[in-house]
Amino acid sequence: MIRLIGQKNSNINTIKQYGNRQLNKFRKQLSLQLMVLPGILFLIIFCYVPMFGNVIAFKDYSITDGILNSPWAGFKYFSQVFSDDDFYLTMRNTIGMSSVKFVFTFIIPVIFAIMLNEIPFLKFKKFVQTGSYLPHFLSYVVVATIWMVFLDPKGLVNTILLNTGIIKSPVEFLAESRLFWWIGTFIDCWKETGWNAIIYIAAIAGISPELYEAAITDGASRIKRIMHITLPSISNTVIVLLILNIGNLLNGGPVGSNFDQSYLLGNVFNRDTSYVVQNYIVNIGLNQMRYSFSTAVSCILSVISLILVIAANYGSKKVANRSIF
Amino acid sequence: MAIYKKTYEDIIIDVLSISIALIVLVTTLYPIYYCFIYSFNEGTDAAIGSLYLLPRKFTFSNYATVLRQKSLFLSFAMTVARTLAGTLTSVLFTAVVSYGLSKKHLMFRKTYMMIGIVTLYFSGGLVPNYLLLKQLHLLNNFLVYIIPSLLSFFNVLLFIAFFSELPEALEESARIDGARNITLFLKIVLPLSAPTMATIALFNGVGHWNDWFAPAFYITNEKLITLPAILMRIMSLASAQQEMQKHVHNSVPTTTPESIRYATLVVAIAPITLVYPFIQKYFVKGMMVGSIKA
Repeated sequence: MIRLIGQKNSNINTIKQYGNRQLNKFRKQLSLQLMVLPGILFLIIFCYVPMFGNVIAFKDYSITDGILNSPWAGFKYFSQVFSDDDFYLTMRNTIGMSSVKFVFTFIIPVIFAIMLNEIPFLKFKKFVQTGSYLPHFLSYVVVATIWMVFLDPKGLVNTILLNTGIIKSPVEFLAESRLFWWIGTFIDCWKETGWNAIIYIAAIAGISPELYEAAITDGASRIKRIMHITLPSISNTVIVLLILNIGNLLNGGPVGSNFDQSYLLGNVFNRDTSYVVQNYIVNIGLNQMRYSFSTAVSCILSVISLILVIAANYGSKKVANRSIF
Repeated sequence: MAIYKKTYEDIIIDVLSISIALIVLVTTLYPIYYCFIYSFNEGTDAAIGSLYLLPRKFTFSNYATVLRQKSLFLSFAMTVARTLAGTLTSVLFTAVVSYGLSKKHLMFRKTYMMIGIVTLYFSGGLVPNYLLLKQLHLLNNFLVYIIPSLLSFFNVLLFIAFFSELPEALEESARIDGARNITLFLKIVLPLSAPTMATIALFNGVGHWNDWFAPAFYITNEKLITLPAILMRIMSLASAQQEMQKHVHNSVPTTTPESIRYATLVVAIAPITLVYPFIQKYFVKGMMVGSIKA
């Protein structure tokens, strides 16, 4: 019995010693800790609090009661969302618009990079590359305004199409709902092709010139060299970026501009195709102040995005034998 | 290579790649260029149309009208203030936090990193964010531009990657000389990491300059509104007209709402267009580092 107590005491002593040592260590690196802790506190307030704030999707949120004291509502808001026509409309538009955008805004930069590599004049190549970044640095408001002006019935695009005889009468591009997804895709390509091509251009620059020289001595033609050297050399980069971007699919693919376009270029005439989920969330959340309902929609969106990320990760493990996380 | 003779295929591909590049270049830059020439042309004259390459009737009156608008001038100043303050605080804060996290012997380092990494994959919805800002009295407050974007864990990871590449001997020797963590950080690490800081500062700065969501949804006080939000209001011609009637009382007769709109656009585009050729290589470098680490 006495031995046991003694053992217990010594255990407590070691724990105490250990604790003291840890405390000393902590004290010694106090300045380091004080550098990090404000950051962690920031993340907890500005990332974790809203993350847990998502619970209002399951509550009858009222401003007077606050998040914690509002009564639980179960899945009431989710069933409301699933019986709302606008939810299906915006979901359809989000998936449709995102898919079109994803395909084009993903493939065109690859083609652009390969093509740029074929330009024989280095200075010109650099100039084109640098010039192609510029729209990336513009605010989406600016971009939307520019294209709104250009796509106007009296705008430049219509003038050119009329003068070349492609169309007979001016088209009101932004009032035609069947055109909206394509206009969105075009604007995204205009804004981001150069920027998104950077990574492929770098990958191509990393290809050993000996490969090309050997191919030339073997008599491989230009197209053969593109197909058999350039493309396979960048395919790994392409696959990694493809996987990374899938998580962003519902925001509009690599550019992620669904909300900007929908909010800034959408109007009553093209609403059938331009109203996307992100815009719907803002509209019911901030304009109509239906907080719980809006959060329920954004939860559904996050769950779908999460599933996409996990699926992409699984796919990349299977296909390329590498995982993102 | 000298023996190699160009075949027809080579010539076709050369011509094709150059012409596609030219078309891309023109479609990319012309719309922006067009805004410039329209804004320097007399509005009434430009309304006739067929203004393509150079301003026909050169004038500064559009800019004079734009800059005389007090609200616009104020919003421009607000955008500059927000960009400078936001970028500076955010980069410094990120650097400090990342320096601490880059030390392997930091206690609870794994926990801290986990806390950070989760934020890369999960985030609160729009409404919880909005309610948080409301609770913190950040709505309609200049600080809403600055505080919520102080720290992004993605940038922290970039900084950590950089800091952990710094030679340890450097810090050891400073430590022997009696420097403490803070002095070490201020005197040695910060100056060395200037290029990384510049890159992240640029990304941050452009984000601040271009952001339109915060002024549009979190701010109703006219005095705090930034340029992108003003641009949003005059996006459609009709609203540009209304806005003009509200603010511009003594406009020059040759200006039109449309020419004013172009001039406003240029005011928003110009700062970035002017500096971007010089800074774009930092951007490219930053983008490369970011994607490799990601």
